[in-house]
Amino acid sequence: MLLSRNNLNRFLAFWRHFSGANAIHLVLVIFGILLVWTLISHALENPDRYLPSPIAVALSSFDMVYEGLLPSYFGDTIGRLIVGSIFGLALGIPFGLILGINRTVADMFYPMMNFFQSISGIAIFPIVVVWFGNSDKTIFIVILYTSFFPIAFTVLSGVREIPMKYIHAVRTLGGSRFQIIRDVLLPGSLPHIATGSRLSIGFAWRAVIAGEMLAGREGLGWMIFTAQDVDRTSEVILGMLLIGLSWIILDHYLLRPFEADTIERWGLVQR
Amino acid sequence: MSMASTLSVNIQKRIGRQRLRKFFLGSIPFLILITVWHLNEVFNWLEPVFIPKVSEVWEAFFILQEDCEGFSAAIALDQSCMMSTHILSSVGRVLLASIIGLPAGIALGIFAGMSRPISKVLEPIGIFANSISGIAWIPLAIVWFGVGWMTTLFIMLNTIFWLMFFNAMMGVRSIARVYEQSVLTMGGSRWDVITNVYLPGAMPSIISGMRMSMGFGWRALIAAEMIGGDSGLGFMIFSSASEFKIEEVFLGVIIISLIFLATDRYCLIPLEKWTIHRWGLVWKPH
Amino acid sequence: MPAKLVIQDLTHHYPDEYTGESVHALEKINLKVEEGELVTVVGPSGCGKSTLLNILAGLLPYREGLVTVDGVKIEGPGSDRGVVFQEHAILPWRSVSKNIGHGLELRGAPVEERKQKVAAFIKLVGLEGFEDKYPHELSGGMKQRCAVARTLCADPVVMLMDEPFAAVDAQTRITLQEELNRIAIATKKTIIFITHAVDEAAFLGDRCFVFSARPGRLKAIVDINIAREKRIWSEMNVDKEFLSSRDEILRLVREEVNVAIEE
Repeated sequence: MLLSRNNLNRFLAFWRHFSGANAIHLVLVIFGILLVWTLISHALENPDRYLPSPIAVALSSFDMVYEGLLPSYFGDTIGRLIVGSIFGLALGIPFGLILGINRTVADMFYPMMNFFQSISGIAIFPIVVVWFGNSDKTIFIVILYTSFFPIAFTVLSGVREIPMKYIHAVRTLGGSRFQIIRDVLLPGSLPHIATGSRLSIGFAWRAVIAGEMLAGREGLGWMIFTAQDVDRTSEVILGMLLIGLSWIILDHYLLRPFEADTIERWGLVQR
Repeated sequence: MSMASTLSVNIQKRIGRQRLRKFFLGSIPFLILITVWHLNEVFNWLEPVFIPKVSEVWEAFFILQEDCEGFSAAIALDQSCMMSTHILSSVGRVLLASIIGLPAGIALGIFAGMSRPISKVLEPIGIFANSISGIAWIPLAIVWFGVGWMTTLFIMLNTIFWLMFFNAMMGVRSIARVYEQSVLTMGGSRWDVITNVYLPGAMPSIISGMRMSMGFGWRALIAAEMIGGDSGLGFMIFSSASEFKIEEVFLGVIIISLIFLATDRYCLIPLEKWTIHRWGLVWKPH
Repeated sequence: MPAKLVIQDLTHHYPDEYTGESVHALEKINLKVEEGELVTVVGPSGCGKSTLLNILAGLLPYREGLVTVDGVKIEGPGSDRGVVFQEHAILPWRSVSKNIGHGLELRGAPVEERKQKVAAFIKLVGLEGFEDKYPHELSGGMKQRCAVARTLCADPVVMLMDEPFAAVDAQTRITLQEELNRIAIATKKTIIFITHAVDEAAFLGDRCFVFSARPGRLKAIVDINIAREKRIWSEMNVDKEFLSSRDEILRLVREEVNVAIEE
């Protein structure tokens, strides 16, 4: 099954291959950037306010870790991301599947979905805030809303893209409509579910940062927003770096390899 | 045959049966939604503070605009012409950010992509810059520029720039070496290579990047206006929300989505069709 | 003994998906296939071979004419007519064993029975050792063998094969053809094999139906009276009966190809 030893080994090997970058080269680039950064910082007249040097940023991180704040903010943000995404995916995947399978239902709901998708999660925030106030519930709803659409659309088009030959094959084996859905459409859409999940989680990540800033709930987004308010620019930059780093690790080392592995394993060509 | 049936057959022939069917099916959810919305007014299921009356939303547009002194005041972004000021501010920023950010990102991306070693160095920077979402730049922008239009413009510009830069760079890099060599061996100059190989070859990445960056940029702009702006649609819906004027919020949200849908449908998708599909290029995902 | 599969006056038109014009694919096809026969259908491109196969498989509804299997009219796809498709249609997300056993699984056969039959067919097509491999780990030839095993394991009354070896390299193709003969001997299945390769048609078929250019009509039936056990390429290449039958088929097909070109 999915968690068999064989699969685990193959996944690890794939992961290693996938993430094996030119490490030395990367270190040099990072070093170069830090150097340029320090130089610019020193050239300014009020570096602490406008562009604290990397060292200042590093020092502030130690402070925050020492006080236990940083891990707690990080945990809060990731926690909201996970909870919101899970619900968004849990709603979006079945919705996308149903729309992919049934043309009539799809024709009915597609325009409406398009309309609501264009009202991004950010724009819906003020409406939700009026309903639920500045609470975690608000952020949750915004994340759910934001992560619902990408996965639903991806799965919808994914199901439509499953080659007819597989459906023909099961029909000639005597499969019923239900069996075709179970044996062809559901497994066939798994690669698209993986891709759509990655997209959805990406949108959700952006939404959670914005949501924290707007709703004033503790977390990474909140941290950089309040730090700006009290002129602790080094914390702002620290937060930004963490946000970028977290996403890179999440996306490049977890979500993408998983997606690529699913696609490769099931041998379906992805456009 | 009666008038009605002749008319219907004609309409069906012109628009096509499938399209007609799709149109009617697609409007059903909207009609249901609007009906339920209206019924809410009648039956008062949810308090008016949560869901405004349909008429209120419509009227809010005019109320916000009523103090306006005329066309010239509207153009001058006078504060009394609330509605037009907000719309024009946001749209103006979108245009300005696009005019500056798109060419800058594309040009720098292409130049970076032209040189293999440089693009290898810049690639991780591009990846990292795109990982810090545009929204996360807002506090820093406020530190640098204060609350106001500079911040909001910067955020959208920043978002567009990095995305276009990365896409253009990777687009050029993905072009097979042989095309560049063939132009050079035919006696073309570096500039010829740029216009005949890099630009067209990177077009799919660039165009799809354009669509993406407009989408992300627009959302980042709204967020920036909410958090660090003093005018614009984002600012409007946020401040109306804090004043619990939900009808203004609904109005703003509807306008935002209409603008986005219109831009996507009438500018971006045709652009995509006109270039990529015409040239028969295949979109290569990153 | 009544024929296994009977086609009476089958005519078929369909609208072209690009131009909307009506394409006359088949015209008054009349033929019978006896039980246990391996018949091949050959003809120039566009002669309606694939259309015919899709109709027989039940994937394409037909309006004019009558097609029956064991006296029962064909109304749609069913497990009584198994199909081996040209493009590898084994499910990529199932292992070889699971693919082969799929037909039985759909029917609700007990697990033990499934295991036994799958093992037997794996042996028959020579895929031992590959039971747990996934299709993307197999070569083209192996995928088609898996497809053949899948179809046979579902125990259809008639097996339909739509140019199954077209996408495979020449060497593997020869091997697969000889294997198909072996399987035909072992299973005694009624097989209808569509191909555009005249050699293949002559090598495999007990009888070969030659179709004309569009609209497809049954132009001729060529008998190839060589015992199935004797059908090995090294021997067939020097067999007079084979060569003359093959040349006859080739001549007939060439005629039609020229007709199609002239149109």
